Amino acid sequence: MLCPLLAFLIQALLGKKSISGNIALVAILASTLISLFGVFLPIWNETTVLQKWAWFTIGQHTLHVGILVNNLTALMQLVVCIIALPVHIYSRAYMKGDSGIHRYWMYLSLFCFAMLGLTVSLNLLQLYIFWELVGFASYLLIGFWFTKETAAQANKKAFLINRIGDIGFLIGIALVYANCGTLDLSTLFGETSVLSSIDKNTSWVTFAGLAFFLGAMAKSAQFPLHIWLPDAMEGPTAVSSLIHAATMVAAGVFLLCTVFPLFNETVLLVITIIGTLTALSAALFALGQYDIKKVLAFSTISQLGFMMVGVGIGAWNAAMFHLTTHAFFKCLLFLSAGAVIHEMAHLKAKAQLAIDPQDLRHMGGLRHFMPKTFVCMVIASLSLAGFPLTSGYLSKDSIVITAYEWANHLGAAYMLIPILLIIVSLLTAFYIGRLIFKTFFGSFKYRSLTAAGISFHEAPKAMLIPMFFLAAGSLFPFFGISLTDYHSAWIMHTLETDSSYPTLAQAHLFIPALLTGGAILVWLIGWNWYVKQKYPLSENNVLVYFAHKQGYINEFNERVFVNGVIKLSRILYTFDRYVVDGLTKFFSWFVRQLSVVVYWFDKHIVDGLVNLAANATYYIGHLVRHVQNGQLQTYLGFALTIVVLGILYLIIK
Amino acid sequence: MGLLSILIFLPLVATLLILVLPTSAKATYKYIALGFTFLQFGLSLYLYGNFEASLGGIQQLEAYQFVEQLSWIRMDLGAIGKLEIDYLVGVDGISLPLIVLSTLVMLMGVGASWNIDKSPKGYFALLMILNTAVMGIFSALDFFLFYVFYEVMLLPLYFLIGIWGGERREYAAIKFFIYTLLGSVLMLLVIVGLYFSVINPVTGAHTFNMLHMMNPANYVDGSFFAYIANYHDIFGIPARLIGFIVLFFAFAIKVPIVPLHTWLPDAHVEAPTPVSIILAGILLKIGGYGIIRVCYSIFPDIAATTNWWLALIGVVSILYGALNALAQKDLKRMIAYSSVSHMGFVLLGIASLTAEGVSGAMFQMVSHGFLSAALFFLVGVLYDRVHDRYIYNFRGLASLMPKYTAYVAIAFFASLGLPGFSAFIGEAFVIIGAFNAESMTTGVPRWMAIGGSIGILLSAAYFLWTLQRMFFGQTRLQGGQVWKEALTDLNTREQVILFPALALALLLGIMPSLIFSNLNASVLQLIDLIQPYL
Repeated sequence: MLCPLLAFLIQALLGKKSISGNIALVAILASTLISLFGVFLPIWNETTVLQKWAWFTIGQHTLHVGILVNNLTALMQLVVCIIALPVHIYSRAYMKGDSGIHRYWMYLSLFCFAMLGLTVSLNLLQLYIFWELVGFASYLLIGFWFTKETAAQANKKAFLINRIGDIGFLIGIALVYANCGTLDLSTLFGETSVLSSIDKNTSWVTFAGLAFFLGAMAKSAQFPLHIWLPDAMEGPTAVSSLIHAATMVAAGVFLLCTVFPLFNETVLLVITIIGTLTALSAALFALGQYDIKKVLAFSTISQLGFMMVGVGIGAWNAAMFHLTTHAFFKCLLFLSAGAVIHEMAHLKAKAQLAIDPQDLRHMGGLRHFMPKTFVCMVIASLSLAGFPLTSGYLSKDSIVITAYEWANHLGAAYMLIPILLIIVSLLTAFYIGRLIFKTFFGSFKYRSLTAAGISFHEAPKAMLIPMFFLAAGSLFPFFGISLTDYHSAWIMHTLETDSSYPTLAQAHLFIPALLTGGAILVWLIGWNWYVKQKYPLSENNVLVYFAHKQGYINEFNERVFVNGVIKLSRILYTFDRYVVDGLTKFFSWFVRQLSVVVYWFDKHIVDGLVNLAANATYYIGHLVRHVQNGQLQTYLGFALTIVVLGILYLIIK
Repeated sequence: MGLLSILIFLPLVATLLILVLPTSAKATYKYIALGFTFLQFGLSLYLYGNFEASLGGIQQLEAYQFVEQLSWIRMDLGAIGKLEIDYLVGVDGISLPLIVLSTLVMLMGVGASWNIDKSPKGYFALLMILNTAVMGIFSALDFFLFYVFYEVMLLPLYFLIGIWGGERREYAAIKFFIYTLLGSVLMLLVIVGLYFSVINPVTGAHTFNMLHMMNPANYVDGSFFAYIANYHDIFGIPARLIGFIVLFFAFAIKVPIVPLHTWLPDAHVEAPTPVSIILAGILLKIGGYGIIRVCYSIFPDIAATTNWWLALIGVVSILYGALNALAQKDLKRMIAYSSVSHMGFVLLGIASLTAEGVSGAMFQMVSHGFLSAALFFLVGVLYDRVHDRYIYNFRGLASLMPKYTAYVAIAFFASLGLPGFSAFIGEAFVIIGAFNAESMTTGVPRWMAIGGSIGILLSAAYFLWTLQRMFFGQTRLQGGQVWKEALTDLNTREQVILFPALALALLLGIMPSLIFSNLNASVLQLIDLIQPYL
């Protein structure tokens, strides 16, 4: 686990000098070996290893960091390593010559570190830290080509949507902490579980469960928080295959499996419903996409929906099983698509075409040029569609059949879930068939160019070898010897869950038959439509357009949430400037006006009184001054006047 | 003279030195300032290293460390009694982390002032006086002494903004000054009231000693702020509540809370970069510190009954500040509003009255201290080069200034609470504490915690939007070729200043125990002090 961290640090220090990616490769190779031989084999089905160190003390509680390796986490981290290794090898060829390659390896190592850390965390808070770190690494990698405006938009969107989930996760943590006083997974869910003493039907358990599910919804792209994943395809394809198909997006499912004992029935039902809804809507949207990576992105979302249903119906082992098989075939699908895009981009550059190298409409007939890629992609597609002999068959059936049994146990209304899942499975077969037919069959538009000497060839070896490896992993022997019975797959075997509902033998028969038969049927239709050019719908069909625009969810969000928040913030700023600050200004204006009034009062009234007294004295003095003019007559006259006035006064009195 | 006094008065020596040296030696001023702040930083680290973490502090003088007590003013006032003012300084787990933070931010501030050429003598002298005042505030345990330092702090800030600031500097400086003065003048009234209510149990004289004020037994029965037999009220509001509100008002202006925050964006935008750094990094913390040290410790009974309102103010500040930041077009103003939002977490955490919440609030203060300092410094870098900070005028800076972009990205992500960085620990524990409050029945409901967590989402929104808008995409600048040439990447001095701050953010994010271990005993002590009144 620490290997990628070291690689990240070394590459961060080396900066531009480390462009080969060898350090990252060696690190992930070491991690894989360690996780397989050092961790997985000794732990699997044997013991649980727990190691912890005190991290810090806050209040009365001490938080620990540490490593918790049990069956679940050992499996998850093995998956991460085993998928990451081929992707690293593949990237060496795929990213060759990019000017920012040193950043690429740095980010990739950071991601691997965070992802491995996430899988083995002991403490929910520690898990949360790595949870956000993978989101951060994904942010960096989606925006790897940051000069592209769409990439810069996409990574912002991805991070923000994930933040919504993170808040849910954080609230969940806070609720657990407030009610249980610990975040230690081993204490919470271990043998002597704290939770066992808690009544699961209290409202806080429901809220905490929903909060954790909100976190998982954002990370695992569940409806309606799935919108970031299609946009995340702006990142390099190798990154999409690792992060946005195989590992990081599955972290939500992993989280739910980890905290599974916390969920009560209400929460589980919500998870099931959202999962089904996601599987259905994403499969529908996938039908209308032209970008090869977006088809795959919606397919990922849809499959994640399946896993959610697996958790929701209590069969979290089936969910983990599907997670594992999905990691292989979806990663392979992306890598094959990457190989195609790689060649299309080369063609574009050489022939100076103004086309989008990811657009399905420009492809066709490529099986002649890239036979090996074609084979790999077909294997992966079969696995995705759940065709017998592939790993996808085992894991997908395990979910659908368990869902059927679950619904059968609970009642008729619940039957809707397995029926929808079967429909989604058929849709899956259809859209992946469409993708294969459009890419590899039919005629190539630019055949004239290749004839003119511009080479269009198979992907380089460094890209093919990882693909072969993953293709092998998409077949059934990797997971169990039985062709049809998923119960004997070793993952299912070890991660035993006790189900409360009876198994139905006939479901094991007719559901696989229905799925396989249906898949063949839809492929025949697809063959007719796309290869034989008998397409019945016009391109501007409303439904197709609706699916292409992803149900207008983005537009809706843009209009309601983004614009709403922006408007609110503008209004508040205006409020701040004119009302809050206005009050301050009004107060100061008021004080100044008051001071003007006081000054006027001071000048005219207070000082006026003083001046009045002075002036009055002066004026009286001025009046009597005329008497003092030195002439005796005047003095006598004045004295006479005073005497007369005095006598008059006496008389009147 | 004890270490703490040396810490407080070292900068004054620097001031004297700077004032004595002739103007011809003006090139040395910044080195003097740097040397002294560096010394101070080392000293504060030494104190931090030798701090005994198990001692609580808060209301027990014997649990304080590095205490110095001298009689300062003794006056016989005849019938009223004896005036007793002490020079009493000491630190506990609440104040020491903030002292270390202050010395660090001061160091960054001096580093950011390297290119000041407008009368450097006055500038550095004022900066050092400010430094002394700040250290004094964080270590004073006598209310009178506290008040003196508190007022001394205003003066240099007024001149620093008013003389070295931007275009509307006078307006901003006066606004800042009047606003803060309004708070502190009212505070003086309460201080006097407290003085006449409290008696030093040893000498029997009235006292300004804060620790005596925290002990209910020292209050004279029937006096204005007495616990028991208190019949005083103003307009029908009990006297102790009024006292609490007035003190809270004084510190809330500093924090700042909505709606008393409007001085902050103006002061930040107009202040020169180093002063912005100090304002955001230290000054706002005085508000939070004051609420803990003064409001909550002296009026624990009122604290227990008003915390619902305080938490509400905190949540409103978080959301209101974040939404306002989202509407900003000036980078510096955006960061100023983000400060309002992040300091709202401090208030929410303190008001939660849980150990997690209060520790989270303290951690958030420290973390916000150097992160906001780094953010303002980064804005200063841009402003230095092209004298513009309008967000829409820049695009695609990442191709032009890769190192700068890396630092900005790290600082932004650290501030928006990415785990692994310090802000996350602070915010997460404030939220956790606020959630915990309901189980501890301290009266803060859970919806407030959820409201606070929405603030985390919004802070991601405005930081990421800015990052995308200014740094990603194709390079396009308002000033064209001239700007393109002016916008050189970070130089060594700038990196030397930024690197430690961001490294510290990472270090504290990974090892929060560096702060929590010294903090914990004091926080528990504070909670114990308030607990009986809940």
